[in-house]
Amino acid sequence: MKKRLAILLACFMMIVLVLSGCNTGGGSGTTDPTQKPTETDSSGSGTTGEDVTLTLWSISTESDAFHEAYNKAIAEFEASTGVKVNHNTYENESYKVTLATSVSANQLPDVFFTWGGGFSAPFVSSGKVLALDEYYGNYKDQLSQAALDNVTYDGKLYGTTFTTAISVLFYNKKIFEDNGLEPPTTFDELVQVSETLKANGITPIGISARDKWVLAMTHDNLTLKSAGPEKVQSALRAEGQSYNAPEFIESAAKFQKLVEIGAFIEGAAGLTNDEASAEFYAGNTAMFVTGSWMAGSIQTDPENPDDFDAVPYPVVGNNAALTDFMGGPVDSFMVSQSTNHPELAAKLAFELARGISKYGYLAGAGLPVWEVDYDDNDVNPLTRRLASFTESATSFTLWFDTFMEAEQATTYLTLLEQLYFRQITPEQFAQGMDEQLN
Amino acid sequence: MDSVRKNKLAIVLFLFPAAALFIMIIIVPIIMSAYYSLQNWDGFSQGTFIGFDNYIELIQNKTVNFPKAFRNAGLLAVLSVFIQLPVALGLALLLARGIKGERFFVGVFFLPVLLSTVVIGHLWRRIYHLSYGIVNVGLRAIGLETFVRDWLGDPGIVLIAVFIPLLWQYVGYHMLLMYAGIKSISPELKEAAKIDGATDGQISRLIIIPLLKPILRICIIFAVTGSLKAFDIIHVLTGGGPLRASEVPSTLMVEMIFRRNRYGFGSSMAIAIIMLCFFFAVLIKTTIRTEVDSDG
Repeated sequence: MKKRLAILLACFMMIVLVLSGCNTGGGSGTTDPTQKPTETDSSGSGTTGEDVTLTLWSISTESDAFHEAYNKAIAEFEASTGVKVNHNTYENESYKVTLATSVSANQLPDVFFTWGGGFSAPFVSSGKVLALDEYYGNYKDQLSQAALDNVTYDGKLYGTTFTTAISVLFYNKKIFEDNGLEPPTTFDELVQVSETLKANGITPIGISARDKWVLAMTHDNLTLKSAGPEKVQSALRAEGQSYNAPEFIESAAKFQKLVEIGAFIEGAAGLTNDEASAEFYAGNTAMFVTGSWMAGSIQTDPENPDDFDAVPYPVVGNNAALTDFMGGPVDSFMVSQSTNHPELAAKLAFELARGISKYGYLAGAGLPVWEVDYDDNDVNPLTRRLASFTESATSFTLWFDTFMEAEQATTYLTLLEQLYFRQITPEQFAQGMDEQLN
Repeated sequence: MDSVRKNKLAIVLFLFPAAALFIMIIIVPIIMSAYYSLQNWDGFSQGTFIGFDNYIELIQNKTVNFPKAFRNAGLLAVLSVFIQLPVALGLALLLARGIKGERFFVGVFFLPVLLSTVVIGHLWRRIYHLSYGIVNVGLRAIGLETFVRDWLGDPGIVLIAVFIPLLWQYVGYHMLLMYAGIKSISPELKEAAKIDGATDGQISRLIIIPLLKPILRICIIFAVTGSLKAFDIIHVLTGGGPLRASEVPSTLMVEMIFRRNRYGFGSSMAIAIIMLCFFFAVLIKTTIRTEVDSDG
């Protein structure tokens, strides 16, 4: 009797275990618990979208500046098509891993947020992303071909974009006025400004060498403004231009010069980007080179947002103009190749991009890439100024580390760190870049 | 119950859940990592089988410099065994002697182990801060300005600066293990020694420590394997930088897999870490013999 009881008990335990295992395993935590069964509202506008649910993944968590814009754009799409959008959000860093795993496991949602350039290149080449060329026609007037460069692979369009970012020189107007300085337009002026500020006991430029991409913000700009957009793009694509050329060595040398004259904040090697930015917001450093997204934080973080302004990065020599910018639209929506509703999903990718472009800009979260056919007078002046930079821009060059694929980008940042610490000379840096690009 | 123990089916059934979990959660991932480590794989496309090339690169690649990361972890292990453990032992001996507020102090020393490592990391980022960190402020206050450093930004000293919180955090953990070990030693032994005229120092040295040997051995194994696996505090404090000066195998592995999309190469690091941990655990277990072993 006891024996039978023991076996029975063991069987019971096993069943419980197996069942509970299935339960947590099958759910895998990606589905939204608030997801409703398909809407039965058939009084929609009579489009094909009835009873269809599309799944969307993004990094627009509640703390994201674009969160409200997403909600509004999704609501508009749902209202106009009757399609239900199931929106799941992830934290930025973990999303990169989630996305990569989903691509390899063939479990992509209908529409997903991703970054153009090198990041999505392996997804596209693995054939898991739907080409969008045939759906682009309706939107050509409002979204320029140029804005889609970074999501075009081998001449085919694979994504839509909704915001653009450029890197500029943010500066503290008050500090500049107090010291009788004008924002610099050439590298020599930048050096002079830095030396004057330093002599007056103010740290000229905030930077983080721990988050190496912040170093790249300055170095990318120096290279662009020293070699010009054509040569930089040709060098990055390895299309004839060698990276080991005088203009590129010069930009690395200029970067090191800024280190040598002590233009950068002391202890940058240990500071994260957030800590270095906080010093800038607090008025402890006079300048900061980073993406236009800083304009959003400037509205909330410093005591007096009106103290801050931005100018294009100064030029080095005559190869580039002030209106040549580093940056470009990379935030993108792509559609899975395996979606059941390719037409609707593509429509969602475009409509959503248009809506977020508008509502995100109006909220000051980012610069628009779609045509501005609405009143933008309520947007904060700094964001409007940045938007005017993008309108009058003569060229956009994608940030090196975004343009490159992961391995190359990390090598670039490692070389840059060595350059910052003066472990290698500008010549060695250019040679190292040349070797890895070819 | 004897009949149950002799019933093979019952044994299998009872062991099955635990064995299945163990195999699924520990053995299978290790085997899969070993399989990936033989491939050139970026994590999503089709991998290609390249034999032991990843392991050869692990040893030879000068820019990745895994041997240096391993040496850093080795240094941490040495510091753990020769600084952290003696301190923990000293505290344990002191507390087990029954001083006033014994329980309170046990709690205080154990507190860092309970705190989230990320919290501790951020705490120490403030402590080391160049301008307002308590280390530099303190040094300036007592006139030792020449010793003021950018503790987490200077490649020359960052390694030690990162190791200090690591050593500090787990002192309490080892202390608690040893403290419990000492408490379980029968008081008659100590009393007998006392009657024979032994001093406190002699009792500790000649009676408690020898009897504590099995615990000490476990502490050493934990300290060494823990050092080889160290990740979180370093990740928060420096992320392995500047200039890879504070890189340890785990931080390097994370960079390879998640920053560079080199899943295969990163997996070979994971296997290397596992193998090294096994190797040292076995080595320590065989070199430090205890009475229990020789009895059995």
